[in-house]
Amino acid sequence: MMLVSFPMLAALEVGKHFYWQLGNLEVHGQVLIVSWIVIGVLVISSALASRNLQTVPSGLQNFMEYALEFIQGIAKDQIGVKHYREWVPFVGSLFLFIFVSNWLGALVPWKLVKLPEGELAAPTSDVNTTIALALLVSLAYFYAGFKERGLGYFSKYVQGSPFLLPLWVIEDFTKPLSLSFRLFGNILADELVVGVFVLLVPLVIPLPVMILGLFTSAIQALIFSTLAASYIGEAMEGHGEEAHDDHHA
Amino acid sequence: MMDLIPRLSGGLSTHWVLLAAEAEGKGGLFDVDATLPIMAIQFLILVAILNELFFKPLMKVIDERDQSVRFGIAEAKERLSKAKSMASDYEKQLAQTRRDIQELIAAAQADANKIRNQQIADALTEAQLHVQNAKAEIEQQKQEVSAALDQQVTSLSHQILTKILGDLVQVS
Amino acid sequence: MDPLVAASSVFAASLAVGLASIGPGLGQGNAASRAVEGIARQPEAEGKIRGTLLLSLAFMEALTIYGLVVALVLLFANPFAA
Repeated sequence: MMLVSFPMLAALEVGKHFYWQLGNLEVHGQVLIVSWIVIGVLVISSALASRNLQTVPSGLQNFMEYALEFIQGIAKDQIGVKHYREWVPFVGSLFLFIFVSNWLGALVPWKLVKLPEGELAAPTSDVNTTIALALLVSLAYFYAGFKERGLGYFSKYVQGSPFLLPLWVIEDFTKPLSLSFRLFGNILADELVVGVFVLLVPLVIPLPVMILGLFTSAIQALIFSTLAASYIGEAMEGHGEEAHDDHHA
Repeated sequence: MMDLIPRLSGGLSTHWVLLAAEAEGKGGLFDVDATLPIMAIQFLILVAILNELFFKPLMKVIDERDQSVRFGIAEAKERLSKAKSMASDYEKQLAQTRRDIQELIAAAQADANKIRNQQIADALTEAQLHVQNAKAEIEQQKQEVSAALDQQVTSLSHQILTKILGDLVQVS
Repeated sequence: MDPLVAASSVFAASLAVGLASIGPGLGQGNAASRAVEGIARQPEAEGKIRGTLLLSLAFMEALTIYGLVVALVLLFANPFAA
C-alpha cells in the first residue's frame, strides 16, 4: 500500500482486499471464498465420516473420532464434566474452523489463483473473521453464564468494592480483543514471514519457517478454542479465583 | 506535520484505519466491514451443520461404544468372580478329598498295624507253646533216658560184680 | 506522504517489534528452562508438562505478535499517511 518505495514488500499485497458490493455494503470476497472452501471441507469430511457409522471404527471415522475426542478433552478440561456436552459443538466448531482455515491458508498455494485485487489467504488472517469469532465467544459466555445462573451471573459486577466494577467491564472487552488479535496477528505474521522468505529465497529455505507456521497455526487453533471453553466454563461456575486457577492448572 | 493533527484527533475512533484506506483507495489491514456479520452468521450455520452431521452422531456412537464396553467389562467381572468362586469351591472340595484320603490312609494303616501286631502276638504265643512242648518233651525224654541209664547202671554194675566176685555173692 | 512520517513510522515499527520481543523472550526462556527441570525431575510427566509449556509459550508469543501487529499497522495501514 503505502510502501511503494519498498518494491520487495510491496509485492506482499498486505491490506488489499477483493471487494464485493452487497447493496451499499462492502465485503471481502477473498475471505468469504476461502471460508466457504473451509466450511465445505469440514461439512464434506464430517458427512463422509458419519455416513456409515460403525461400532468398530475404521479409516475416516476413526480419524474424526480422534478429533472429536480431542475436542471433547478440551471442553471437558475447561468447562467441567457436568456441562461440557452442550458446548462441545461450539468449541469444536471453533477449533475445527480455525484449524482448517490456518492449515489450508498455509498449505494450499493460493498465490496461483489470480484475483483482480488482493489474494486468497487463510480467513483467519483477516480481522473480520477473528473479530466475528471472538464476539461469538463473548456472546456464548454471556449466554452460558446467564442460562446457568440467571441474573446471578451479573452479581460479579456489583460484588466486592465498586472500584472493581470497571475492571470487570474492561475484562469483558479485553477478552474478545485479545482473542481476535492473537489469532489474527499470529496467522498474518506467519503468512508475512513465509511471504518474505519466499521473496528473498524462493527455494527450500522457507520450508522450516513454513513448518513452524503450521505448528503455530495448530497451537493458535488450540488456544482459541481452549480459551473460549475456559471463558464459558468460568461464566458458568461463578467468578471465583479458585475456579480460575483450576482452569489453568 | 501540522495538518496531521486534525486527522489524528478525528481519527482516534475506529475510523482511523479506514481513513488510511481512504487515503489510498479502499483496503487496509484493519478494514472492518460487512464481512464480519456474514462471517459470524455463516460460522453459526457451520456450528449447526456440524452439530447435526458430526458431533451428535459421533458422540452417540462413542457413547454407545462406551456403554457396550462398560457392559462387557461388568459382564467379564461377573464371570471372573463366578470363576473365582468356582475355583475356590473346587479347591475346597480338593482339600476335603485330600483330608478324606488321608483319613482313609491313616485308618488303613491303623488296621494293618493292628493285624500285624495281632499276627505277631499270635506267632509269639504259638512259638512259646512250641518251645514249652519241646521243653516238656525233652524233660520227659531226659527222665526216660536217665531212668534207662539208671537201670543199665544197675544191671551193668551187677554184671561187673558177678564177673569179678563170681559166685561169691549171691545175686540179690 | 510526508517523509518525516514515513521515517518515524518505519523507526517506530522496528522499535515495536524489537521491544515487544524482549519480555516474551525472557519469559519463554524462563518457562522453557523450568519445564526442562520439571521433565528432568519427573520424566513420567513429560506429556503434561510439554502441553502446558506449549500453551503458555503461545500466550507469551502473543505479546510479541501484538508488537508485530502495531508494526504492521505502522507500515501498511498507517493512520497518519496523508
